[in-house]
Amino acid sequence: MAVVAVGKPAEICVSAFCFGKRDVREQPRLNVVVVGGGTAGWMTAAALGKLLPTRCNVTLVESEAIGIVGVGEATLPHIRGFNDRLGIDEAEFMAATRATFKLGIEFQDWARLGDSYIHPFGTFGSGQGDVPFHQYWCRLRKEGATMSALGDYSMAVTMANMNRFARPDPDPARIESTFNYAYQFDATLFAPFLRGIAETLGASRIEGRIVNVELDGESGDIAALQLEDGRRIEGDLFVDCSGFVSLLMGKALGEPFEDWSHWLPCDRAVAMPCRTETAVTPYTSAIAMPAGWRWRIPLQHRTGNGYVYSSSFISDDDARSALVGAVEGDGIAEPRVLRFKAGRRTRSWVRNCVAVGLSSGFLEPLESTSIYLIQAAISGLVELFPEKVISPVDRNEFNRLIDMEYDRIRDFLILHYHATERADAPFWDYVRTMSVPDTLQEKLELFRRRGRVVKYREGVFLDASWVAVYIGQRVIPEGHDIRADLPPLDVLARSAETLRADISAKAALMSDHRSHIEAYCPMAVAA
Amino acid sequence: MARAIKTVAIAGGGITAWSAAAALKRRIRALEVVVISSAPPPDALTDRISNTLPSIAEFHSDIGLSDEDTIVHAGSSIRAGTTFRGWAAGLPDYTHAYGAYGVPVGGVPFHQLWLRDYHSRGQPFDSFSPVAVRGSQVGHGLRLSIPTYRQLMHDYSLHLGVAERGGQIADVGIRGSDGFIEALVLEGGQRVEADLFIDCTGPAARVRSSVGGPFEQWNRWLLCDRVIIGAGEAYPESPLLDEVIATEAGWDWLSPGRSATEAGSVFSSAHRAESGGATFIRQGRLAEPWLRNCVAIGDAAVMVEPLEWTNLHLAHSQIDRLVAMMPDAQIAPIEVAEYNRQCNAEADRIRDFLCMHYLTARRGEPFWRDAAAVEPPPSLAHSLSLFSERGRLPYYEEETFARDSWLAVLFGHGFRPRRIDPLADAVPPEQVERALASHMGQPGDRFSSGQPSYRGSFLQMGQNAQ
Repeated sequence: MAVVAVGKPAEICVSAFCFGKRDVREQPRLNVVVVGGGTAGWMTAAALGKLLPTRCNVTLVESEAIGIVGVGEATLPHIRGFNDRLGIDEAEFMAATRATFKLGIEFQDWARLGDSYIHPFGTFGSGQGDVPFHQYWCRLRKEGATMSALGDYSMAVTMANMNRFARPDPDPARIESTFNYAYQFDATLFAPFLRGIAETLGASRIEGRIVNVELDGESGDIAALQLEDGRRIEGDLFVDCSGFVSLLMGKALGEPFEDWSHWLPCDRAVAMPCRTETAVTPYTSAIAMPAGWRWRIPLQHRTGNGYVYSSSFISDDDARSALVGAVEGDGIAEPRVLRFKAGRRTRSWVRNCVAVGLSSGFLEPLESTSIYLIQAAISGLVELFPEKVISPVDRNEFNRLIDMEYDRIRDFLILHYHATERADAPFWDYVRTMSVPDTLQEKLELFRRRGRVVKYREGVFLDASWVAVYIGQRVIPEGHDIRADLPPLDVLARSAETLRADISAKAALMSDHRSHIEAYCPMAVAA
Repeated sequence: MARAIKTVAIAGGGITAWSAAAALKRRIRALEVVVISSAPPPDALTDRISNTLPSIAEFHSDIGLSDEDTIVHAGSSIRAGTTFRGWAAGLPDYTHAYGAYGVPVGGVPFHQLWLRDYHSRGQPFDSFSPVAVRGSQVGHGLRLSIPTYRQLMHDYSLHLGVAERGGQIADVGIRGSDGFIEALVLEGGQRVEADLFIDCTGPAARVRSSVGGPFEQWNRWLLCDRVIIGAGEAYPESPLLDEVIATEAGWDWLSPGRSATEAGSVFSSAHRAESGGATFIRQGRLAEPWLRNCVAIGDAAVMVEPLEWTNLHLAHSQIDRLVAMMPDAQIAPIEVAEYNRQCNAEADRIRDFLCMHYLTARRGEPFWRDAAAVEPPPSLAHSLSLFSERGRLPYYEEETFARDSWLAVLFGHGFRPRRIDPLADAVPPEQVERALASHMGQPGDRFSSGQPSYRGSFLQMGQNAQ
């Protein structure tokens, strides 16, 4: 039989094994060592324990002396899929993490001072039909019809504006089905919640500080971790969840870091929770500031705040006072400063080490992608879980998938900064005039031209998200889809108005966000 | 902003041209559409191959045609897939049917569970195909009766307000300033002007070729370069499956329709002496199917052998994309580039899918040895290497065939991954049995109708081939 060489001959030789005998040997369990007990670490431990119970023994090493970053308080709807697969009860989870519902993100002052829009987890219009709703909206506006903001034709945005919440209707014909939701929660409570699950599933936890990472002299793989107290922990596969320090991937293996700070210049954040004085909104806010932006994330018991800024444009002290001056209530902790750099490791899986979370890269929390990226890495690892001898095929595929996630989120974040008219501060002058990646430049031009969104079927942010941000950032298409010209203007205007009124009426019938939470998942009252 | 596109001229007279005309006129009513019609040439496979994929139903519903129009009146019959005979020596024939094979259980794709629980017991993958298991959702395409269907699309287009001009194109007038086409000049000297020109004239691309640009050949990967199409008697009880039979230097097909039967051969002229009557095909695609104000659709854009019946599917997909991305009269390169990117990704992935059939087939003749020895395109190499490792198939943008289609062929050829995905461990075999029983009746409970063998009648028809 002919032997078919596919790709590099060393990598794979199709016929040799694919038509030959199956590899039926019982695979030995891999000893998986997870380094770090933050959100990434315990999510990994719980997922491996649940989904691959026969393939791995999970040991997690963490040190109570090292704090966790835990600012990733706002999430994307994908986390619901993660929780479902782990069999987590939603109400229990929300009560334990003092969570609230999240329908989207509000952006204030981004394109111009005084502007405000919401990027919803949902569509505009009824989500049906050939021509996307924003095409009609563009035509109506251009032809002089009085139009509400694009968000008023979105169920999710309208609910957010009215502080309402209800679950999406399962019937796709109804307008109440056209949204999704995520959570805003206390990330410092999520890790302990998952720890309970992971330990029940058999993960063992070792308390200790790692002082040395021992590499195998021959292969260069990680052989073991040495702890301060002299213990040595061996493993087959190491998952680096050590956060920014990137203990294994960065320090021990020396995987280079691709720096994206010329596109995303924010490199610090100062965070301070405060008492909630205004509404517990079913959305996160991102408010543009002179040298970056400020988040507001309402939880059940407090509101998370932080100022993400570029140290080239503002000092730590000034950023701290700006944050303290801007938050709505009294601070309930001292402001603390975090340092980071936008970018990612060239590869996230090197030898027998997989980086999950901040150890693999960092993108600022503007679109709440931190936990999503953790999740993407975990799904990749679970789907490509290796054998004792790790196949380069698995490793390369994992890296390809993670790169794609990072690159697409990167472009989406840059869009928020670059598409601005603000010229009131040096920071905004820089981002407005910087050159952006070609991939983003093309997307922008295509949208400007006729409101087209470059089509992806994979990737975290889909069409409606891009539309929300383009329009919200005042990237208004010059033309529109020729099919949007078909209905007579007055008919179109009337149907748009009917839709808006319908959405508004439906939202008004939903319960208030806070009462929904109090009925469904109130946090335990502190003892 | 430039003015909207108002006039569109379509060159070609086969089902591709008339489908494009009907779709453009129906879906963008403001357009004035004229078809410069002439009979399609013999190598225009998109205009001549009767088998289509399930996507045709959506095309019809988008342009307002019902099943009654396109099946009952047009004499089409329903097809649910293809039986492959003789593609892997020593293995049984297999069926590639449209739809899901088995059901996923506990979040684990069915094929992983099949590899673990059923393969070893000798139950082939296609015993779980949608046509083999009662109660499953069968995706279906149509077997068209080409002359009737062409007439339908023609009449429907005229009904929608498309204009028809007969006549051969003598010249294509190019504007000096920007290289756009100004007008088609007919043999009688009449000029047909338009904002946008659509070339559905088949592989020669009578109009699009005058705008220039390279053609990317696929003969490194797809060795067949000859097609013979023949016709035969109708099968009133038209069966659900067509047949594709491996031959010494290619393959034959039999497509038993309710109004007529189509049969044919595809082969490599380097591996088989020609007996005359075969049509040359040069597989590949234009680097830029859309250039300036001229869009190639169908064979003018992509020339591919009819294995897996993608010809009309590609044309429909190009038409849909054109409707959705219709620019203004200025036709900005950025919009054209996005159209081309999508079309090319789609065509290349179909190329990969077809190439996979040959790479993994197992026969001893020189043609099959050569076809299995080609170095696959990188995207296909990536798919096959991932699949070989653990049965995973990566997702590509603009993919036409679902994962189960890839699997039907790969498993049909005895091509299996080295190991089973560890995720399958979490699902006990009893749970799989229960899931199959509740969703789909009994596993392996084949339709009893049984496929007649067409082999004999096919050979007869082969002799009548033009």
